[in-house]
Amino acid sequence: MRTSADARTASTVIGEEFADLLAAAQGGSEAAFSRLWRNANPALLRYLRVIAPGADEDIAAETWVHVVRGLASFRGDEQAWRAWLFTTARRRAIDLARHRSRRPETALDYATVAQLPSSADSAEAAMENLSTAAAIALLAGLPRLQAEVILLRVVAGLDTESVARMLRKSPGAVRVAAHRGLRRLAQITADAGVTL
Amino acid sequence: MPNIPQPQRQDEPVVTDADLAALLAGTTDAAPGLRPVADVLAALTAEPTGMELAGEAGALAEFRRQAGAQVPAQRPRRSSELRSRFGVKVGASVTAVAVVLGGGAVAAFANVLPAPIQRLAHEAIGAPIPPARHHSPSHSRTAAPGRSGVHGEPPARGGPGASRQARPHATPTPAAHGNPQSQGKKGNPPGEGNGKGGQGQGNSQGQGNSQGQGNSQGHHGSGQGQGNSQGKGNGQGQQGKAPHGPAQQGNPHKKGPHGSAQANGRPAGHPRRSVHPRPVMDP
Repeated sequence: MRTSADARTASTVIGEEFADLLAAAQGGSEAAFSRLWRNANPALLRYLRVIAPGADEDIAAETWVHVVRGLASFRGDEQAWRAWLFTTARRRAIDLARHRSRRPETALDYATVAQLPSSADSAEAAMENLSTAAAIALLAGLPRLQAEVILLRVVAGLDTESVARMLRKSPGAVRVAAHRGLRRLAQITADAGVTL
Repeated sequence: MPNIPQPQRQDEPVVTDADLAALLAGTTDAAPGLRPVADVLAALTAEPTGMELAGEAGALAEFRRQAGAQVPAQRPRRSSELRSRFGVKVGASVTAVAVVLGGGAVAAFANVLPAPIQRLAHEAIGAPIPPARHHSPSHSRTAAPGRSGVHGEPPARGGPGASRQARPHATPTPAAHGNPQSQGKKGNPPGEGNGKGGQGQGNSQGQGNSQGQGNSQGHHGSGQGQGNSQGKGNGQGQQGKAPHGPAQQGNPHKKGPHGSAQANGRPAGHPRRSVHPRPVMDP
């Protein structure tokens, strides 16, 4: 299991190459858009699994449809790109929660075996998935604001100011929520002896 | 039982805000008490699984559809614009050519074109032959400030509107049909035909006296003049004094078949175009 935080940062941020990728995607390059999608979609799904469990994939798909339609007119750096992406997903999640609160329904769709993606190393993929799923489950046990702040800071790679604007909170409130969430997470892992 | 404060356990790590900030930033190794938390955060940012990348095809399809919807939406618009512009240009050109040709044809058949062009029109589309220009010593362009009349059809003079004169139209028939149109209040007598069947359009105004060469008669006010060319011509002119006044016989001064005429003793202008009267034997 990776324990280095530097590797976490390197995997979530594209970096200097982002501007070229974005320009190419706006020009119609499928490869560039695929690179952007592969970089952001896993983090988007993990965020949505915490704030909208059970509807993460649907909301992610709707989010990308919205992003694709507005891609040509988007202007900004990678922070703005990620903020736009996660803000769109968050709004979709809120809309879905309101819709479900008015008209509760039961999901019947499920993926067949043929639709599941195959991996060359199924064992390794299962372990990674399990570890990620366990981490998401731990985050889901936190209060909503604390979990969301930690996810946006760590998974989405947003800074404190961007998270504050997105959640309509002050940067200080975001910082306090993150620290409380981390302390609580540390307490949970210490008490339960969680090993991922 | 007394509430005795318990001393803090020595084995419990102290977590500071700086450690938490560093953990969130992911720039340094976690403190000893935050290593399990660091592992959780690292698991959150682990490499994507296959399931998390399963929706790439759908996203690319949406991207392809959106990109494809933009390109064809512009191409037909461009082609339609080009077609419309081309159509407008072609339509304007065709309209201009039609107007020019039509106007030219009308002018040619009205025999108002300059002589060389009129000849060309005659050869090309069968327009009337241009009237031959006749020169006479008594011709005086200055005497007729307006349009000149046909030879044998004197210009009207004498009125304030004397600038308007009879305008001839040669016709192959011996009888000349004067242009009967009286010009408004000035009372234009009808034109008079000349000997060669010229068709006159008398536009004498005011008290002008139109005078024709040959024997022409007109009906002032009736809008039609008749002239009989009779060889040498006995000019009978008509003149109108009033817009609706009766036609009067002019006082032509015959000067031969091509002589100019005068009305009321005033010299008539020499017509720029003249038609040689075809002599008709007077019965």
